[in-house]
Amino acid sequence: MSSAANDLQFGGAFPIDGGQLGQLIRDHDWASTSIGPLSDWPQSLKTVTQMLLFSPVPIVLLWGEDGVMIYNDAYSEFAGGRHPELLGSKVREGWGEISDFNDNVMRVGLSGRTLAYRNQELALQRRGKLEPVWMDLDYSPVLDESGKPAGVIAIVVETTEKVLTQRLLAESERRFRALTNASSDIIYRMSPDWKEMRQLDGRSFLADTDTPTIAWMDDYLLADDRRQLQSAIDGALAEVRPFQQEHRVRQADGSIGWVFSRAVPITDEDGRIVEWFGAATDITERRRTNAHLRLVINELNHRVKNTLAMVQAIAMRTFRDGADVDHAQEQFAARLVALAQANDLLTGERWAGASLRSAIEQAVQPHQHDTGRMSFDGEDVRISPKTALALALAMHELSTNAVKYGAWSNDGGIVSIDWHIRDDRLQLRWRETGGPAVVPRTRRGFGSRLIERGLAGELGGQVSLHFEPEGVRCVIDAPMTFVAPE
Amino acid sequence: MTLRVLIVEDEMTIAFMVEDMLTDLGHEVVEVAMRLPEALAAARRIEVDFAILDVNLDGLRSFPVADILAERGIPFAFATGYGSAGLDEGYRGRPILAKPFMHDDLRMLVARILDDCPPPDSLIPPNAQ
Repeated sequence: MSSAANDLQFGGAFPIDGGQLGQLIRDHDWASTSIGPLSDWPQSLKTVTQMLLFSPVPIVLLWGEDGVMIYNDAYSEFAGGRHPELLGSKVREGWGEISDFNDNVMRVGLSGRTLAYRNQELALQRRGKLEPVWMDLDYSPVLDESGKPAGVIAIVVETTEKVLTQRLLAESERRFRALTNASSDIIYRMSPDWKEMRQLDGRSFLADTDTPTIAWMDDYLLADDRRQLQSAIDGALAEVRPFQQEHRVRQADGSIGWVFSRAVPITDEDGRIVEWFGAATDITERRRTNAHLRLVINELNHRVKNTLAMVQAIAMRTFRDGADVDHAQEQFAARLVALAQANDLLTGERWAGASLRSAIEQAVQPHQHDTGRMSFDGEDVRISPKTALALALAMHELSTNAVKYGAWSNDGGIVSIDWHIRDDRLQLRWRETGGPAVVPRTRRGFGSRLIERGLAGELGGQVSLHFEPEGVRCVIDAPMTFVAPE
Repeated sequence: MTLRVLIVEDEMTIAFMVEDMLTDLGHEVVEVAMRLPEALAAARRIEVDFAILDVNLDGLRSFPVADILAERGIPFAFATGYGSAGLDEGYRGRPILAKPFMHDDLRMLVARILDDCPPPDSLIPPNAQ
């Protein structure tokens, strides 16, 4: 942007050349200013003026007590809309919005001292409104022929763009810091070839790495997983794409955890990778939960199939050869209801253990609406879900028998159920009284078999069913594993 | 040919059904064990041609029963709603009766058990795996 020395026309009118400002200075009416017409300018003023006009750096000379402004093309660009009115104006008036600042400049400069500012912020009105401007400002006194300070010369380098860029950068840096702090993720930095880990912030889940290390695989990975992870790294390196992998890690406390890790390459202006920046989420708990969920689903599937097998067994038994269809259908439906209720009991207890009393009551009560015709007597304990299911089905069979032939088949019969726990054994009695005289059965049905053999087998104890004239009596005596209440 | 069978099944209704089915097929159910201690005792003592084992006996796995039967050269199959994934590694090759099942499933299972496992006096060691 500077004029080449060859082009200069020496010996012409002062100032020589000097671009647009040279012309403006030559044409200006200096007689109306405090420094007088050009022809009267002292040599010192001329020399400095000529010097600044030749300079590509923005320079302004503030001459005399008023600080009359003489500047070059570069400074005129800085001045924006204030140029050309600034030329020949008094600095305190020309830049009215910063008159205090310039007053100080003039006083210090004319007293023979210098001033220097770096990234000095001043509010200037260059495009119709006040706006912040940052500058590097260097002021030094200019001496006249008598050797006394007669003016101040200022080199003005605007740094606004640089300052704003730095400010944005710092803001972005702060935002980045906040992001990494706000995130609970592990943050890490790797060398371009992944051989070296530069830094890792382990968030107390993993041990921190503060100084670069090439032993990071030994520190964080399990020997068995290294090959797989290396191949994932090789893939990311070969294709220059994000690295992404779910893998095991050695936690800070020595135990084994899981992370979901993702890293992106950071490249320079030429597209070369200078670093990999990564974040890893602790997914140990999530994996544990998933594994548990899979187990639960598997178990549920098993139970459903087992229940279907039970339904099948009940159906086959109920509809067995020669059974009256209407009666069998009714019986089948009732048995399914009993099975469903027993299942409710179990799911209600989250399969962890069921109440003995509820198991009995819920199986028996649906068969007789008059609660005066039944009695339950015994302490409540928690029993295993399977035992509860077996007892409930047996109680159902006894109840249907009572409704059909026994104590609940007339107007006044009563069923009493009592039990007690002794030496970890359950002793339970079902007694029917007040019903019609019992006729000994010739053919024992599913119900009897279920109770006598099935229940005995399930409980690992003795179950005896007596068809006595005064009423049916069933005695259960079985060892029992009691579930501790939660 | 009437075969003697041991049933290990903790659900009484299912146990009875399997018993009925096997009886219908002309076999004889020698014992039904519904709990692990009884099943272990039966496996040690009983003389049967094959056994059907439920995998889950009120929360306990029946694999120890399977081990005793294998040692004694008694063929067996698992009856389970888990599928083969529910079996421990060492038992994956065993025949499985997937619950619920039909007469024909049981008939084919019995045939397969007898094919896979020659009588104990054979020169081929039984259950080599």
